[in-house]
Amino acid sequence: MSRRKRHLGHRGHRKHQPLRITSMMDILTVLLLFLLKSFVVDGEAHTPAAGVELPLSSSTIKPESSIVIAINGGDILVANELVARVTASNANTDMMIEELADRLEATRDQTIALHGRRGDEVEFDGKITIQGDRDMPFQILQRVMFTCNMIGYDNIALAVIQSS
Amino acid sequence: MVEADLDIMPLMNLFVVLIPMLLLSAVFIELSSIEMNLPSPDATASTPKQRLELAVTIADEAYVVEGRGLRRQKIERDADAAYDELQDTLETIASGHPDNKEIVIVSPGDTEYQELITVMDISREAGMPAISLVGASAR
Repeated sequence: MSRRKRHLGHRGHRKHQPLRITSMMDILTVLLLFLLKSFVVDGEAHTPAAGVELPLSSSTIKPESSIVIAINGGDILVANELVARVTASNANTDMMIEELADRLEATRDQTIALHGRRGDEVEFDGKITIQGDRDMPFQILQRVMFTCNMIGYDNIALAVIQSS
Repeated sequence: MVEADLDIMPLMNLFVVLIPMLLLSAVFIELSSIEMNLPSPDATASTPKQRLELAVTIADEAYVVEGRGLRRQKIERDADAAYDELQDTLETIASGHPDNKEIVIVSPGDTEYQELITVMDISREAGMPAISLVGASAR
């Protein structure tokens, strides 16, 4: 009797019941589509560089894609690559940052060559985005902007986080 | 007839991998930008005619607002309402000179970037979007 009872009790489980995952699949599909859509493909101008805390601002202008100079402490990165290091000791010597200037010059020449080969009307728009840490002293920004300007990047955008 | 189940295990495997990956790489911060237009190095400075030459100087203790034909005004930097006061001052000047879109921000080398951005925001909101940054000599 007891054996039979146990048998009956297990009958419901023994019958093959497929897992109902249709609703979960719905959620996952929507989530996947949403995430794929928001996946950033516009380049690094839309992504803050690692370790850089951008300042807050009320500006609502959308950033355009361009080369990015990130300034983190005294490290200056172009396209996520360490190019120069500015310390307080060499801060007062010269406005121009030589290593950065060399790098930007190479990038500029490359861009002009590329646009020329493609036959674009505008050869060089001089667009550049600066992502600076909010604690950075103005001195460093000034030197970076001066260097950009001397090389011909005179259309400078400062990346900020939109504060609501 | 036996009802065949759709085999969605491979799809599930895909989802389980893709969703965490996309969640990690998703950017939830809304970035925006401030446009700065610098004069190109070979351009000659145009001579200003009847310009206000409005300038905000970030000094040790105060923001100093100056301009041609304007009373020099000092706003205590440490005060809580310094930014509001600066905004009021600039808005008053802007309403008196609606044609003036230019402002010069003079800053010493050690001003924090955030403060600079905030002063630029205030200038823009007060109606002067053409901002120039000038470095002041060391104090």
